[in-house]
Amino acid sequence: MTNEELWRAALGEIELSISKANFITWFKNTSILSNNDGRVIIGVPNGFAKEWLENKYNLYILKALRNIQPSIKEVSCAIGSEKENAFRENQVDAIIPPKRVVFEKPPVEKNFQISQENNLNPKYIFENFIVGSSNELARAACYAVSQNLGRIYNPLFIYGGVGLGKTHLLQSIGNEILKKNPSKKVKYITSERFTNELIDSIRTQKINEFKEHYQKIDLLIIDDVQFLSGKEKTQEEFFHIFNYLYQLNKQIVLSSDRAPKAIPTLEERLRSRFEGGMIADVSKADFETRMAILSKKAVDEGLTISTTALDFIAQNITHNIRELEGALNRVIVSSQLTNREPTLDYVSALLSDIIASGKKKGITHKHIIDAVSSFYDIDTADLIMKNRKKEVVKPRQVAMYLMRSELQYSYPGIGEKLGGRDHTTAIHAYDKISKELEFNKKLLEDVASIKEQLYNIS
Amino acid sequence: MKLTCTQENFKKAVFNSERMVSRQNTLPILNNILFETENGGLKLSATNLEIGVSVQIGAKIEEEGKITIPAKLISNFVNNLPAGENISLEVIDQSLKIKSGSSKAVIKGLSAEDFPLIPKKQTDFILNIPSLKLKNIISKVITCVAFNETRQELTGVNLVLKEKEILFAATDSFRLVESSLKLEEVNVSSVYKEFLEKKNTFIIPANTFVELARIISSDIESDIKIVFEEGQVFFEIDGTDVVSRLINGKYPDYKHIVPVEFKTRIVGEKNIFQGALKMSSVFSSGKTNEVVLKIDAEENKLLIEARSVEVGENSSELTVDIVGSSQEVVFNSKYLLDGINTVMTSKVAILMNNASSPVAIKEIDEKTGEVLEGYVYIVMPIKN
Repeated sequence: MTNEELWRAALGEIELSISKANFITWFKNTSILSNNDGRVIIGVPNGFAKEWLENKYNLYILKALRNIQPSIKEVSCAIGSEKENAFRENQVDAIIPPKRVVFEKPPVEKNFQISQENNLNPKYIFENFIVGSSNELARAACYAVSQNLGRIYNPLFIYGGVGLGKTHLLQSIGNEILKKNPSKKVKYITSERFTNELIDSIRTQKINEFKEHYQKIDLLIIDDVQFLSGKEKTQEEFFHIFNYLYQLNKQIVLSSDRAPKAIPTLEERLRSRFEGGMIADVSKADFETRMAILSKKAVDEGLTISTTALDFIAQNITHNIRELEGALNRVIVSSQLTNREPTLDYVSALLSDIIASGKKKGITHKHIIDAVSSFYDIDTADLIMKNRKKEVVKPRQVAMYLMRSELQYSYPGIGEKLGGRDHTTAIHAYDKISKELEFNKKLLEDVASIKEQLYNIS
Repeated sequence: MKLTCTQENFKKAVFNSERMVSRQNTLPILNNILFETENGGLKLSATNLEIGVSVQIGAKIEEEGKITIPAKLISNFVNNLPAGENISLEVIDQSLKIKSGSSKAVIKGLSAEDFPLIPKKQTDFILNIPSLKLKNIISKVITCVAFNETRQELTGVNLVLKEKEILFAATDSFRLVESSLKLEEVNVSSVYKEFLEKKNTFIIPANTFVELARIISSDIESDIKIVFEEGQVFFEIDGTDVVSRLINGKYPDYKHIVPVEFKTRIVGEKNIFQGALKMSSVFSSGKTNEVVLKIDAEENKLLIEARSVEVGENSSELTVDIVGSSQEVVFNSKYLLDGINTVMTSKVAILMNNASSPVAIKEIDEKTGEVLEGYVYIVMPIKN
């Protein structure tokens, strides 16, 4: 038994017989320095501990040690248990000159400061927006609005999923307007901030000033209006401001993550107004657009990267432009740091976790069945049971489609999970939904929102 | 325990021991002061397990005994006692009954059995230093002690016992101070020389010195006796015993940093330097508190300048006595000011070689105007 083990065992026993505070105070940083011929020398950190252990706890310690090694006869203490801090001979000098810290103000990058007044970020302009089939309508509408403020497409409503460029388009309108005529009053605001400002103005009793401020605006851009849902007072105030501006032919541009119809608890009069102008959607960028975005960004950042590597990124990150850019940024930074050519292998290794984490792990057919049945508001039992009611058949097919596309289940497996159906049923369902998705917008949205729910909740 | 003592003695004893009481609460009894009768007097002891203090005062003992009492409580009580009357103490069960004139108190205590034993010295004192001299030195070196726990050895004051002098040094790795005490001013025991040969450098925790300086009364000159033992140091002054742990470790070498020769010497009034530096520190910018000293040897002028982007700028021109070549050096104004503040003479000397080597601050003899050795404050200029 080494000294260390011996002391640890003894401490375990001593700890039982004295109070915790005492134990911590007196036995912290102690050790056995030597153990010869039944004489144990305990190293203690200071003179107080030495006195105390020798005079008060001597018997405890001796008893505890003898229980383990009966040959021990005597215990004494010595100060300086810590091994003299393993001398750092090549020590730092006693004094070192302080370094001058240079406090240069960062060069003011005019271009990239968000203006306080209109909240516009100058980096979002039409020139650097990549147009593809998924967003060309929205882009054209926005551009048209920026050229004919308030005269066509009022209000303009843009909707689409996260990270697809809504904000970019919206802010581009504002920046374009300001470029042409800096005296125009432009305001970009998220609906959340709009709500907060409104609440503040109500609290400080400056609601009139709030209204007046908004009524002077030439172009009002409200981002993420879906957050207005459920906020009745805000909706009402917004309705009045909206009407007022609309009457004066001031341009209003709105964005949301879904169509006005799909926003729950949005007042009818607001919804009809939102739909009264022009509605354009931004959907997921197709492969070509993603490639175009990647190669433009790579050129902007001065990164030389092979097309195959870009191709890999574009193939694997499909949902979201922001993620796409994030992935490319990661490649850029990492290849700069390690000084390596971003080859296909390198990129795939680097992005493996991003790509893997894109899909949440641990999703099973149960989650899909739950998500589908709750989306279509039917019982999970109905979905699995053998019946061919019309309202159940479609959801069941969607569930099969999702099991195939999201989880890569085998067709027989899918059939079995959904009430022991034949694998041909599953094949049919998958084909049917896949085909229908190509032309049925409604179904596409449904599937998208089920997927969203699926990946968000679990 | 039953006894009577004078209020003045009692107050002083409580005051000196109360400060030592631990702030950490692992062991509640460390918040207490131990009162015990010993050698026909009353002894008060307190410790935080790093430093221990025992104060012995005269008392008329009627009955021996001991008890521990919460330090905060007793000191608050004693502080508010009307002056003059003697104090009588009596232990009844686990409480201390205090009576002074018309005031009475009964304070609940804890058993003295659980109070830590204050270590006692095994050997005789080897040093006997005049208390005011030591207090003076402590106040000079303590400014430079590091509070940074990462380098344990810098949180103390380094003592080097030599045959002709004792050196006290402290540094926080930005500046360094060394003060020497000539052995002629110290009474050493006959074993001092032998002692030196075994071990002659010790690092005393800064706290210990701070407490010691507080215990040393500034108007009565007396002697402090000192002895070092394994891992600890013992002091005794006027019936007060102080024991403290020593810091383990090796103090960094600093001798090679102190320049032997200087190219430029500035001598001026201490308070003029202080004023100008304080003023400029208002303007000095950022964390480094930069001030520029422009020394014009031809004109015999010193220009102290500070500027910051946010605040503005300031400069003061001082007429000083300059020997040597012109210089322009950048300092952290705080470090420079600290050095000048510790100078005890009315004039101060700043000695330097160039803009990047260590600068020394020394004292000037009041009568002869010579630069005094024995005390030096070293500060590094800020590199350009």
